[in-house]
Amino acid sequence: MTREVILSVQDLDVKFRLRGKVLHAIRGISLDIYKGESLAIVGESGSGKSVFTKTFMGLLDNNGFIPAGHIMYDGKDLAKITAEKEWQKIRGGEIAMIMQDPMTSLNPLKTVGEQIAEAIRLHQPEVKGKEAIREKVISYLNDVGIPDPERRYKQYAHEFSGGMRQRVVIAIALACNPKILICDEPTTALDVTIQAQIINLLKKLKEKYSLTIVFITHDLGVVANIADRVAVMYCGDIIEVGMSEEVFYDPKHPYTWALLSSLPQLGERGEDLFTIKGTPPSLYKEIKGDAFAPRNPRALKIDYMLQPPYFEVTPTHKAKTWLLDPRAPKVEPPAAIRNLKDIEGVYGK
Amino acid sequence: MIKYLAKRIGRSLITLVIIISVVFLLMRMMPIEGYFPNFDKMTDAQIQAGLEAQGLLDPVPVQLGRFFVNLFHGDLGVSHGYRNNVPVTEILADKVPISIQMGCLSIIVSLILGIPLGTMMARYKGKWVDKMGTLFIVFIQAVPAAVYYLMFQLYGTLLLDIPLLFDAANWKSWILPVFSMALGNIAYYAMWLRRYMVDESNKDYVRLARAKGASGNTIMFRHIFRNAFVPMVQYLPSSFLNTVIGSIYIESLYSVPGMGGLLVQVIKDNDNNMVQAIVLLYATVGVIGLLLGDIMMTVLDPRISFGTKEGGR
Repeated sequence: MTREVILSVQDLDVKFRLRGKVLHAIRGISLDIYKGESLAIVGESGSGKSVFTKTFMGLLDNNGFIPAGHIMYDGKDLAKITAEKEWQKIRGGEIAMIMQDPMTSLNPLKTVGEQIAEAIRLHQPEVKGKEAIREKVISYLNDVGIPDPERRYKQYAHEFSGGMRQRVVIAIALACNPKILICDEPTTALDVTIQAQIINLLKKLKEKYSLTIVFITHDLGVVANIADRVAVMYCGDIIEVGMSEEVFYDPKHPYTWALLSSLPQLGERGEDLFTIKGTPPSLYKEIKGDAFAPRNPRALKIDYMLQPPYFEVTPTHKAKTWLLDPRAPKVEPPAAIRNLKDIEGVYGK
Repeated sequence: MIKYLAKRIGRSLITLVIIISVVFLLMRMMPIEGYFPNFDKMTDAQIQAGLEAQGLLDPVPVQLGRFFVNLFHGDLGVSHGYRNNVPVTEILADKVPISIQMGCLSIIVSLILGIPLGTMMARYKGKWVDKMGTLFIVFIQAVPAAVYYLMFQLYGTLLLDIPLLFDAANWKSWILPVFSMALGNIAYYAMWLRRYMVDESNKDYVRLARAKGASGNTIMFRHIFRNAFVPMVQYLPSSFLNTVIGSIYIESLYSVPGMGGLLVQVIKDNDNNMVQAIVLLYATVGVIGLLLGDIMMTVLDPRISFGTKEGGR
């Protein structure tokens, strides 16, 4: 399988200055994103999923900075861009973003038409004239499945339901004409029935506009539904990455095991659901060894001492765990997740 | 929209009637000395005759009714005590225009200076513009107005080379009182606008606008400003009212023949007709101000609809 890399992250570090202390949010991530794929980044809250993708767009908060690493895109190193002007071309035009809460991500005082038109004016200068822009906006509204776009064009955000607003947000992202679309938990704030609609819409639009989609989520059901590839993040690092089937059916990292074991579908009636004990380590301190070791009941001695490198399982699947070292003892994944294939509603069913 | 306006205006009129009636009734509970300039020397018969002549012996509802009837004819009665037997309307006609003019000018000045100041402070938050602005706001709010009003008058008149006192015919002598009145509002508008703009700039739609690739200035002026200005609108009417009636100190400082302090004066003089007229005036200005504020809000913010609920979620 030969695939073209559209964005390549190498040894990326992100730190934040907070009240005189330094928080190490992203700890040396390397990841290639391939053209036309949909990649899901999963992990618990605070694992750095959003921060990681924000670096692609220069949207870190003011106290955040990138002390080391590269983000190669189109021959440029995005990690080195400081000029706001240069970022403005990349934001939207190359990489666009859909945010979590559609209720608040639209300007309440501008019609949705104006807001989409603004994106067109910024990134599609070839569309000239009021009428041409209007037509373009209406075609985007059509594409995202908003009925009666001629009328909706003139309406304000408060006249739309949550799902419809998220469609408008998607239309704004499309109107920027991006190559990569980052979806930062786009369905978290929506009803379950609407979630499925939005996911299907994104799938459809990905084909139509040949987008590369990076999906941030902690909903593994969503991952199974949309992603070709999954990257599991823990404590600011990607600890396992592989094709969806590989990560779901043959997970290698104990954290991935724990994450999958927490799927509510695996719960037995009358019993507590599986939870991962403990809390992630503080990112203010330097983490030694495997960040998950203190919460991992099967941790090896070396996990506390030395950070594991990536071990390749297949050419597309690798994980950072000492368990994959040939010298490691044989540790079986928990029984509950060994037969994920057969469990309804988890993957592809 | 017209229906909504009619409803609002109707309600405003009812509010005015209630205010006037309450004030009218309260004034009737004051001692009767105030109706006569030389009460001490009058006999009981003279007092009775005087009260009768002024219609004060009629039942109170009748008096109130008569007041409203006269009001429709533009007759607010004559002054007793403040300036004897001069029609109230005549006294006010002398004083009101100059105060209103001065109030309007100072509001305009404070908007022209306060809004850009607040915007710049929010745009360059934490930079030197913001720091200087904050210093100015803290100074205006913390130092008693009397201190800087006096300094303003002293050095201002020297600088402009004009006399200390106000002279309506000389445009230069308007500058200092108008600016003195505006200072407080400038600080007030700048402070609130900055605060609202900073609030807005942390909202998700601003993040989306940034993620869209819009420039800092576009975001500031096309997205944030209007959103931040909506809550500001509600302050405008009341600050206008306060400027018109609250300039007692400045008017006396520069000897401006306006109505600052007039209300206090006529209440002391027990001049019922004057009190009623002035309260009526203030209440009208206040009610109109609130009405205008509401109308401006509805124009600026599509989420506020005129009365009836339609669409929405």
